[in-house]
Amino acid sequence: MQPNATIAPSTLSVKDLPWQILWHKDKCTLCGRCTAVCPVNAIELGVFRKRRIKVSLEPQGNPSSGFDIFHGIRQKTDPAYACVGCATCSLVCPNDAILPMRSDEADKLRFHINRGGQPRSRGGRRNVPGGILDQIKFIRISMLTDPALDAGRHEFEMRTLLGRILPPEQNLKFFNENGWIPPVREIYPLIIGGMSFGALSPNMWEGLQMGVAYLNEELGMPVRMCTGEGGCPPRLLRSPFLKYVILQIASGYFGWDEIIHAIPEMVEDPCAIEIKYGQGAKPGDGGLLMWHKVNKLIAAIRGVPPGISLPSPPTHQTQYSIEESVAKMIQSMYMAWGFRVPVYPKISASSTAMAVLNNLTRNPYAAGLAIDGEDGGTGAAYNVSMDHMGHPIATNIRDGYLNLVKVGMQNEIPIFAGGGVGKNGNLAANAATLIMLGASGVQTGKYIMQAAAGCLGSETDRCNICNIGRCPRGITSQDPRLYRRLDVEKVAERVVDLYLAFDMELKKILAPLGRSTALPIGMSDALGISDYYAAQRLSIKYVV
Amino acid sequence: MTENRQSINISGKRDGRRLDSRVLEEQIQRAVEAGHRQLSIQALGQHGIGGRLWKTDGEPLHIEIEGNVGQRVGAMGYPGTTIEVLGPASDDVGWLNAGATITVHGHASNGVANGMAQGNVYIAGNIGARGMTMTKNNPRFEPPQLWVLGSAGDYFAEFMAGGVAVICGHAPQDPKNVLGYRPMVGMVGGRVMFRGPHQGFSHADAKMTPIDDDTWTWLTDGLETFLTAIDRMELLKALTVRNEWQLIAARSPQDKGGVPRRSMADFRKNVWDEKLGRGGIVGDLTNLDRSPIPLITHGDLRRFVPVWENRKFKAPCEATCPSGIPVQERWRLVREGRVDEAVDLALAFTPFPASVCGYLCPHPCMTACTKGSAFMTPVDVSQLGRASIDARLPAFPPLSGKRIAVVGGGPAGISTAWQLRRMGHEAVVFDDAPTLGGKIASVIPNSRIPAEVIKKELDRAAEALPHVHLQQRLNRSDTTQLIADHDFVIVAAGAQKPRTLPIPGKERLVTATAFLGDAKQDRIKPGNRVVIIGAGNVGCDVATEAARLGAGDITLLDVQEPASFGKEREDAEAVGAVFRWPVFTRQITDQGVELDTGELIPADTVVVSIGDSPDLAFLPDDVATERGFVVVNEDYQTTNPKVYAIGDVVRPGLLTDAIGAGRRAAETIAEILAGKRPGADRKMVIDIKRISLEYLDPRIIQYEDMDQCGSQCSSCGTCRDCSICVAICPEVAISRKTIDDVAFEYVVDPERCIGCGFCAGACPCGIWNIVENTPVG
Repeated sequence: MQPNATIAPSTLSVKDLPWQILWHKDKCTLCGRCTAVCPVNAIELGVFRKRRIKVSLEPQGNPSSGFDIFHGIRQKTDPAYACVGCATCSLVCPNDAILPMRSDEADKLRFHINRGGQPRSRGGRRNVPGGILDQIKFIRISMLTDPALDAGRHEFEMRTLLGRILPPEQNLKFFNENGWIPPVREIYPLIIGGMSFGALSPNMWEGLQMGVAYLNEELGMPVRMCTGEGGCPPRLLRSPFLKYVILQIASGYFGWDEIIHAIPEMVEDPCAIEIKYGQGAKPGDGGLLMWHKVNKLIAAIRGVPPGISLPSPPTHQTQYSIEESVAKMIQSMYMAWGFRVPVYPKISASSTAMAVLNNLTRNPYAAGLAIDGEDGGTGAAYNVSMDHMGHPIATNIRDGYLNLVKVGMQNEIPIFAGGGVGKNGNLAANAATLIMLGASGVQTGKYIMQAAAGCLGSETDRCNICNIGRCPRGITSQDPRLYRRLDVEKVAERVVDLYLAFDMELKKILAPLGRSTALPIGMSDALGISDYYAAQRLSIKYVV
Repeated sequence: MTENRQSINISGKRDGRRLDSRVLEEQIQRAVEAGHRQLSIQALGQHGIGGRLWKTDGEPLHIEIEGNVGQRVGAMGYPGTTIEVLGPASDDVGWLNAGATITVHGHASNGVANGMAQGNVYIAGNIGARGMTMTKNNPRFEPPQLWVLGSAGDYFAEFMAGGVAVICGHAPQDPKNVLGYRPMVGMVGGRVMFRGPHQGFSHADAKMTPIDDDTWTWLTDGLETFLTAIDRMELLKALTVRNEWQLIAARSPQDKGGVPRRSMADFRKNVWDEKLGRGGIVGDLTNLDRSPIPLITHGDLRRFVPVWENRKFKAPCEATCPSGIPVQERWRLVREGRVDEAVDLALAFTPFPASVCGYLCPHPCMTACTKGSAFMTPVDVSQLGRASIDARLPAFPPLSGKRIAVVGGGPAGISTAWQLRRMGHEAVVFDDAPTLGGKIASVIPNSRIPAEVIKKELDRAAEALPHVHLQQRLNRSDTTQLIADHDFVIVAAGAQKPRTLPIPGKERLVTATAFLGDAKQDRIKPGNRVVIIGAGNVGCDVATEAARLGAGDITLLDVQEPASFGKEREDAEAVGAVFRWPVFTRQITDQGVELDTGELIPADTVVVSIGDSPDLAFLPDDVATERGFVVVNEDYQTTNPKVYAIGDVVRPGLLTDAIGAGRRAAETIAEILAGKRPGADRKMVIDIKRISLEYLDPRIIQYEDMDQCGSQCSSCGTCRDCSICVAICPEVAISRKTIDDVAFEYVVDPERCIGCGFCAGACPCGIWNIVENTPVG
């Protein structure tokens, strides 16, 4: 019922919302499925009064008024219940009677998602579609100039190196002087980026890990996945599958005591340790797992009591300078596994990234640098951080690589690119672009969620409610009633499918380049773009 | 032509120099054109010898090649051409062969039969890489065949699209692998028969197939032909051991499911859970079932569950009624035909249901009625109120032994004593009047309410309540004694002191209370001109009474916009009273009222009606007062916890306010006596958004009778037993259950319910609520 009351500044009509629910009275069977599944309770059963007037043109014809009642689906207009466009209602509707449609003009809701002075938070990534990566094309097609390769027939070396590769003389010197050379991993160049157990549901997380294990064990693809910050289930730590895992340590240090306790019982070393300093989606901002999401399971894995809020501050508390942060943290993490496991920092793309990279070049322990661009995703962040903070990945990677070239170290310290890889579905093309710009490999999270679990989020602000634990797909919820919508095995299967497809697409890009023995890292003569200034900036070919 | 049919020798060398491939080709073509059908060629690495020889008039053509045969021998070979290479052959034997039979009496290097579409190629040794690649099968012709005595090289049968390859595995180059490295990649048609070990092939494209009898017959027949062609018949026996042969056939497009791989279910069971333990990655931390569930769930898996919250909340009318009468319950009883009960019910809340609800109350309940929010006419409670004159005295419970003194026998005092008695406590009313009633009996004009109504209700109350007729006003020590003698004392002494104006001539003023009391007894003649200072509701009553007693020129003065409203105001306006404001009185003279502007309003009688203030002199010091009123908390408890104060001693208000305060104080005392925290189980008012008014007729502007009121009451928060929920529930999860043959409830079968909330959406009365299910995990 809409009371005939005064309006408030935040009183909105359906028209003011970003999504309008189109409901067809004649097709609706009133089965209740749509309202049962709506993640944000944006719709409800409404009672409608329909007046009917009986008329007659005869004198004193006794016109009369009566009414009928009908029931139907009504969209709520309270900003707290605004439709997010996920269309789960449409998914379950047996008669195609309901569909959210995007408003034909900019919504008014955006001016009111700040109740109590709290600015909007959400999940997802930058609400800006498109991007430079998709504009770059591969223009070097070798037909007769290089051995012509066939993606379907030839074998390709699809591995990259994670770890510090010292020049031979230095390697020898290290080995002779302290009996140690830095550990290096041969891994698949597409890494599943850090998404924590907690940000993701147990079924999602296990599905990803299972898929990764399958790719390794059954298909021989050395795919690795980063845990994100939130610890790692004790069983996984003590399993042989740990070697497929990159453990992340971040400013909250959650789950690390459990990891430390597990070290003596580990049967395999982890692939690597990622020290997270920043995240592309919300550079310079931390995270907060609200107490109501910290259930028994999450608490056990993170090593905290249930029902408390878990803040990850924007910065590591005890690190005051770049020199200190990097040196201190890298040393500590190397020591934990007897200097057998590569350790590298991950930062958000930034105009300051070069300073970090330059610093790392002087630290022979630094196993690489992961840079996360502005199009990276997150489970929860302030909208302003997501939409307006950050640095594009392409220039950061390119600058980093060219810097390394300048100092002659491009083959020594690998850079990994993340943030918006596959944003528009072009995972392999984006990955190949970044590799040719100079990345040794790429990290991706959002694409994995979309392809492996049907994440509905978009850069045009669809769904994007990861932060409230009501993910309609069960990807980012800790509620079994939601996450059981995800079948662990099917997620794992999708991971395998997407990796195989990626592998084939990457080969389709690499074969015409005539490259099969090594990834074309920094092979920028293969890249072209029709934007003159972008070509100049990235030092790639300008083609029209 | 006959002579030309004899064999002709063509040498690839002339004058000690190698002939160009083009020249040799021209010679061969000319020889065939000339009718030669037996060619013997001494080759010196020339390209493509033996192909494209169609000028034979359909006669068979045989070519023998000695020496170093060049690349692509028999390329684009024609049907009817047979080529015998007497030694080994170079690359691409039979390239794009379209029908020739080519026999190589030795090994052949890479690319044998590449692109071959028809014809046969026989190789007496091994072949190099990429043999039988991109071969075709044109339905117009017999499929091509490649027979290899030894083994195939790497990348064998890539993109093979038709034909048959037979690899005999005799003296293979690699004894451990007769098919080479990565064979059959991209194979889409044809078959490969082979004998001997292999190191795998593209399972995505081809599959191992049993050799049936027809195939075996075909193979043995073919082997005879092949071995004859290469002069190795002695091997026939050794090569025709059926169980040594295997067959690989291309997968059909429908059969190509990508790389065949272990099922994830199998991997999970035998690898994942095997190494991690039962329950997988978190099996040690939780025993929650994590198996897949559908989007629409039942029982414990519902995200939301409906709750039947009948009478959990107050209706807005009930919440707003200062006496707390649940009006919606009374209409429910009317709907159910239990009018008597509807009438009697009121006595649980007020001893004056007829006087107040029927006549004197401005009906905040109707103002608050949910229907008003949609500009619909609130149901008319005054109809029910008037009917309440017949309400019967209820049976009271036996006395508890607790005694409460009520000071003041006006509406507040009677109300609180009435409630205490209903709850089983003895409440004694102390008043200095001979009968109960206070202002309700003395100052309300008979025009507002028939005297017999008030009398009947007061008699009903008096029947139940002991009354001590005080012969003199209480003093402070009397009160202290009263407090000592009782468990509680409730002060309901009312406002007895009329407020007046400190202006010259004030002695000429008649107080409203005195005027109304006298008027009621017809003991006063106010004259024609009456000025009333203070235009509130009491002033309006004065105006109405003055008119009744003969006044024709009545003026009400106020210093601000008059606060009067409702029936009182309407009645005063109806008798022609003039309201003037803002005006300020300077003095009262024998002429009338003189304003500060100097204006004189002539008057025969000047009544002051600016309120009454309580006389609190009898209260002990520990009962705090402020600005002439007793200080109380929300339960009407004073600063002395044994003393409560209600009605006009606390603040001026409506009759119903005084009655409600009496009930609240009584409830609080009863709760304290029962050892409960006061107010703990008081209900909240319902959110009117839960009510669906759409079911009600919006065009009713006046209610004809109580039945119509009953049917058109939105019954907020109280189930009207319409069963719409039962009908709307898509899953037939809701049913009506009778309790003890009288009461009923609506219940949900959780195993049928999907948590859609339709019950809540459809419920006219807002009974159903849809709430989040209890969290899991």
